[in-house]
Amino acid sequence: MSELDPHVLDADGALAEAHAGLSRAQLLGAGLAATGALLALPRRARAAQLSKTDTDVLNYALSLEYLQAAFYTEAERSKAIRGKAGEAAKVVGAVERAHVAAFLDLLGSKAVKRPRFDFQGVTENPRKFLKTAVAFEDLAVAAYKGQAIRIESPAVVSAALGIHTVEARHAAWMRHLYGIKPAVNAFDAPDSKKQVLALVEDTGFVVDSPRVKAKRKPGYTG
Amino acid sequence: MAVPVLVEAQGPADDRRVLELILLIERTEAAFYGAALDAGILDGELAEFAEVVRGHEAEHLGAVTAALGDDLPAEPTFDFGEHLADAGAFARAAARLEDTAVGAYNGQAGNVSPKVFSVAAQIVSVEARHAAWVRSIEDRDPAPDATDKPMTEQQVRDRLQALGVTE
Repeated sequence: MSELDPHVLDADGALAEAHAGLSRAQLLGAGLAATGALLALPRRARAAQLSKTDTDVLNYALSLEYLQAAFYTEAERSKAIRGKAGEAAKVVGAVERAHVAAFLDLLGSKAVKRPRFDFQGVTENPRKFLKTAVAFEDLAVAAYKGQAIRIESPAVVSAALGIHTVEARHAAWMRHLYGIKPAVNAFDAPDSKKQVLALVEDTGFVVDSPRVKAKRKPGYTG
Repeated sequence: MAVPVLVEAQGPADDRRVLELILLIERTEAAFYGAALDAGILDGELAEFAEVVRGHEAEHLGAVTAALGDDLPAEPTFDFGEHLADAGAFARAAARLEDTAVGAYNGQAGNVSPKVFSVAAQIVSVEARHAAWVRSIEDRDPAPDATDKPMTEQQVRDRLQALGVTE
């Protein structure tokens, strides 16, 4: 089970820690700085002012970012993904966590809760990890593209488009690592929300009902 | 405001102006990869990259040209010079050119009709894939930022000029 909580990760420096071993540590700084721009949306543009459609689209995007962030974070923690793939997992994981943090900040109390994930050992198997990363990133590109046209707030459209092309970069990166062509077609087709959610559900990675942990009964306090 | 705003929003859809800017980019990309392959400086992965991407850019150019109809702006002239001096120079220029395309498309998204937006959205992520692809081959950061910043029309033209494009 992933223990991802972007706010907590930010607070305890885990994002920086994730990059400690990277010669390209400035990447994290650049990533967070760019997301800082996202976070700097004026208060009036935040949850209270979001239209119903924009709230819906942002929560859908948040769901996909939760999935990606949890996936890369777990892969990084597994320590089984090494070399260039391990480095990519760290870097992309930090960026996906930043996306989660940005959407949580935008949505405030309207944000959907993070589900539990069970990646079924994929995050501990280098080939399966890369194959799944390719699928997630290609899916994210198609998903953002499918929604961008629906978004009503110009500031949110701009932010979503800026993330959309970063997901495409990730897709190409993971494809290159997996040994397949990073850009197959001249045009990337969008996917509908229904198509995307069906594909995500098929993975079985999202565990809907949180496992109830056995707890000791509280002592009698009279 | 720190948020990456939609640049140069000019009210109603300004499809033609935006399409002409996109045409300039796609013409540059098509010419650049063609010249790079003709120069005989590429082999291995970079040659494969250039071949595939040249094909993509030709398709993009076809789509943009068709959208604009008969009355096209004059062809620019290209002198890529030292950017095609060797494979390393090519790779750096290709990454900059693809980044410019991403910034240009993202920067103009707010200025076009839904029809143009839909097509542009299907192109821009392919440009981003190209940018990450060539960086991956060169072992450079494929995705240096958490979000891609939009570019203004002037920034785009300045970048193209620096690559050897004369309008």
